[in-house]
Amino acid sequence: MSHPRHELDDLLGHPVRFSVVALLAAAEHADFGFVRDNVEVTDSVLSKQMSALEQAGYVKVKKGFVGKRPRTWLSLTKEGRRRFARHMNALQEIAAGNNLPVAS
Amino acid sequence: MTETQPSREDAVAALAEVGIRASQVRQADSQLCWMLAALLAADLGVAVLLSLSPHRGSTFAGVGVLAMLVAAVAFAVIVGIRIRGYSRLGIRLYFGTLIAFNLCNALVTSLSIGSRFWAQGQPTYHFGITEAVGMVPLVVGIWLLSRRRD
Repeated sequence: MSHPRHELDDLLGHPVRFSVVALLAAAEHADFGFVRDNVEVTDSVLSKQMSALEQAGYVKVKKGFVGKRPRTWLSLTKEGRRRFARHMNALQEIAAGNNLPVAS
Repeated sequence: MTETQPSREDAVAALAEVGIRASQVRQADSQLCWMLAALLAADLGVAVLLSLSPHRGSTFAGVGVLAMLVAAVAFAVIVGIRIRGYSRLGIRLYFGTLIAFNLCNALVTSLSIGSRFWAQGQPTYHFGITEAVGMVPLVVGIWLLSRRRD
């Protein structure tokens, strides 16, 4: 049995990225502004983190218009959901204290 | 894979945050609930208005029905444009409710007309009763969506 920390995802170790992915994990789709307001970050911070997540294939970004207003919709990819679930399992194990016993 | 390990407290805090984020999305689902509520209000309004109208109809009832339907559609469109996020379960409940409402409404109306419960010569409130039964899925859908909020 390996230590649960090995299952933690490096990309999700960043607090803003974790918050964004946690929000998107609960949502089918979310507007950029909705994520920004709930995670309480600026447009530029969110854009930067979204680029990292998109490049890693965790997040899908879809741009469109509602009337004349531009809208950016964000959603987790299958891979993103899978990685987040694995990260969550590791966190649950750490929270439950299921770490490997220290060798005596 | 990472070499640094969060403490037990960090892990508990992260898990708690996931719950908070899920709650924020559930709250956003309330927009879907309002769209269904607009449809329910319009349907209820039409049912009441036509139940109180004479059999041969009236200009007041006709204009009233039209105004209520236009207002409900306008309200639903405005709310729809303002939707910023929704959960998978929320959107499924929303469309499921719409489909169930349409099917139920069509079935109840057909039965009502077929059985001559809603027909010429019957009291006009029979239309209201028919509509009230037909809108049960809407009420259930709104209830299910609204109880998901924390």
